[in-house]
Amino acid sequence: MKQQDTINYRKPLQWGEFDPNRRRNMFVGMWAWMWQRITAIAIIVLLPLHIVLTYKPWLQFLLLLAVTFHATLGLRVILLDFNLVKVQYQKALIWGLTGLGLAVFALVWWII
Amino acid sequence: MSTGQENNRTVEIYRYDPAEGGDGHFDTFDLHIEDESNTTILDVLIRIQKEQDTTLAFRYACRVNMCGSCGMVINGREGLACKTNVSDFASNQGITLRPLNHFPVIKDLVVDMDPFFKNYGECLPFFEPKEIVEEPAIIRPDSPERQAIGLATECIACGCCVSSCTMVNYHEGYAGPAPLNRAFTLLKDSRDALFTERMDRVLQSCYNCRTEFNCTEVCPKEISSTRAIKFIQRMAMKEPFRKIEEEKFVTAIKGVESAAAIEDVEVGVTINSDGCEGCAHNQPDTGRRDFLTKMTLGIGAASALMVGGVLASAFVGPSMRKKETLWVPAGKMDDLSVGKVTTLNLKYNEKIGIYEQSNVKPVMVWCQSSDKNIVVYDSRCTHLGCAVRWDKSQNSFLCACHGGKFALDGSVIAGPPPRPLDHMEYKIENGNLLVAMVS
Repeated sequence: MKQQDTINYRKPLQWGEFDPNRRRNMFVGMWAWMWQRITAIAIIVLLPLHIVLTYKPWLQFLLLLAVTFHATLGLRVILLDFNLVKVQYQKALIWGLTGLGLAVFALVWWII
Repeated sequence: MSTGQENNRTVEIYRYDPAEGGDGHFDTFDLHIEDESNTTILDVLIRIQKEQDTTLAFRYACRVNMCGSCGMVINGREGLACKTNVSDFASNQGITLRPLNHFPVIKDLVVDMDPFFKNYGECLPFFEPKEIVEEPAIIRPDSPERQAIGLATECIACGCCVSSCTMVNYHEGYAGPAPLNRAFTLLKDSRDALFTERMDRVLQSCYNCRTEFNCTEVCPKEISSTRAIKFIQRMAMKEPFRKIEEEKFVTAIKGVESAAAIEDVEVGVTINSDGCEGCAHNQPDTGRRDFLTKMTLGIGAASALMVGGVLASAFVGPSMRKKETLWVPAGKMDDLSVGKVTTLNLKYNEKIGIYEQSNVKPVMVWCQSSDKNIVVYDSRCTHLGCAVRWDKSQNSFLCACHGGKFALDGSVIAGPPPRPLDHMEYKIENGNLLVAMVS
């Protein structure tokens, strides 16, 4: 422990710092989490707008899209949290649920 | 020299000299590798150290994927240098090596693992038997417990998961994937005696996981720490109930003791008095909880205000607005007979906020003379608002409710009404009588 005081430690490298290849370390699970956060913020912004500016198709489209992503990715986390789906299928869950969500979204938006 | 072009590799290695300090830099080494599929990154490092730069520092011990010493970031991804072959990367691709993230760098690729092992130790990574048995334990391989723990016990504590976990950076008290994985293997073990102590220590940490699966992706032993953390989270759901049970137990014991008047209250139910001062688990990471509380309140308040504002302006706004007088056509002036009272029903639509209703309101018109000298009486009784009707035989307005009686000029003759009948504004346009409706 005393040795530590004499050695000049470099502060910990941060994730991705000094790393020309950091894209190799960006796994889809992380993007799933990130995207859910982004859509969460989008919902916070879009929902009041939707209430104030009613019946604006572009707003409804964006809000529904954000809700779709947020819901499907949230569903994935719930399924994994409660062990309803094995963690080994987490990637399949991301694509599967998001695809399903977008299909329902398309169905709602363009067909119904 | 051009013959062996495809076997030449450019290796970039992060260099940091504690004597110089600074942020560190990358050194480039060119290396000819004969058999790439048989050459590990560790071999490359040893060769560079022997042949090109003897000051290169890195850490290794077993060389066979067992000790977890040579964890580093290889081309952006955490892994063991001894387990990664050069041939894992396309032949035109360079190799970039740098130390693990989230660890203090001692020199070059050598990081200080102390924080990691401190967290590891915090989670009580050792087995404490409930009862001492001499014989080896018999654990059926198909028992649910054994199946659940699986290969999670294989962790070699290389630190790759901690390096890949983006959450380690943001949560001070977060133990990290490997310590939690270790804690999970013991929490799940029913033979272990330290369940409560260990749970208390990992309870705060286990909620810092964001289900990113970075640790699972990089683990050289293919252990899913995410899975382990999820297991702990599910176990933690029972924690409040356990705490309640414990409190009941403690009060029961205290009750017994006070009855027996025994001084010693410490009967092995005190959980937190483990003599660990300043440990992370004694100062739980309340950042997340605080943040969530504040955010919930903040966003709740903001959205309540927003929704409330919109609703309030939608509902209250129109009624606050100054109402334009609604001129309701009552009929033609010619239809009124002079000297008589005519009851007319006004039909109009009333808008209250966003609600619209059609109303019928009777008014009584007293046509005094032919020169359009008329009085329009409101049919509301001035007492309590019942409908007043004109009674021709009594030549007065009668209210059925409480016997109010008004004369032709509207003044009160009998009954409880406090004031004469109300007049209503009117105007005459093109021989049509319009009555002002102010609601």
